Amino acid sequence: MIRGRAGVLVTCVLVSACASTNERVLDIGDQTQLQKRAYQSRTFATADKDKVLRAVISTLQDLGFVIDRADYTLGVVSATKLNVYQLKLTVSTRPRGKDQTLVRANAQFNVQPVEDPKPYQDFFASLEKSLFLTAHAGE
Amino acid sequence: MARLAAFITLVATAGCVTLPPDTFVLTPELLKQRQIETRKYSGIEEKELLIACSNVLQDLGFNLENSEVRLGVLTASKQRDAIQGHEVALAIALALLGGGATPISKDQTIRISLVVRPVRLSDGSPSQKEHFVRITVQRIVRRTDNSVIARGLNDPELFRQFFERVSKSVFLEAQNI
Repeated sequence: MIRGRAGVLVTCVLVSACASTNERVLDIGDQTQLQKRAYQSRTFATADKDKVLRAVISTLQDLGFVIDRADYTLGVVSATKLNVYQLKLTVSTRPRGKDQTLVRANAQFNVQPVEDPKPYQDFFASLEKSLFLTAHAGE
Repeated sequence: MARLAAFITLVATAGCVTLPPDTFVLTPELLKQRQIETRKYSGIEEKELLIACSNVLQDLGFNLENSEVRLGVLTASKQRDAIQGHEVALAIALALLGGGATPISKDQTIRISLVVRPVRLSDGSPSQKEHFVRITVQRIVRRTDNSVIARGLNDPELFRQFFERVSKSVFLEAQNI
């Protein structure tokens, strides 16, 4: 009897651990995929990939980030800011139609994803200044 | 790189703090820092300037981690010891006074990203012969108790000396030395 109970307990622990790993990998939270995309993305009225990527890099440097890697072909830049805390950001760009570029950012603060829309709004406001272009709601 | 990852993990697990509210806002202090971290170089093409800069990083003992020439980006790092005389003396003094083992700085990783970008001409097109070089630098110090302190560096003197070396390297590049 006791053995059976212990077995159930172990199974429960194992199952719950498994679910929690999946939750972490897939970042299952309260927000839907669309909600995240909405606040993490903006479109800019330019098709100049070079200009947008260089503006992203220069905005990140303005904000005190070290650029970890950049890839022109993929249109992706990753950067880290260390200030006792660790803040990691990946910014991707892709063409949208003939004369627009979609910019998307996702951030990680220490061991947490940044899921508050406000920091992203601030980031895109800073990017606007560097690009001399107005950001429009993404996706 | 694995070491760096371990450092970062330590940093990451250390704090249960939240993201400071204005992290992504461009403040006047940040714009002042931009001036300190940037220099303009004239009379040299982007690729040549990038090569001159990568030579400076090697002069300073950095190892190249990543590069994207198409965007003028170089990322490099180096590991060095971080033992400081005054910290050791203080730790010994505290131990003699019965204070037990005091953690002191043991080693450090220094990370740098260097970005070359062309000056924009009045019509918005990129200049071929005038470029800005900007660096951002971070230091991750590991102490004897394996705790980690990580921050960006912003001492103007550090940047002045760095850019002095870039100027020399640009000159050497132009002379083909």
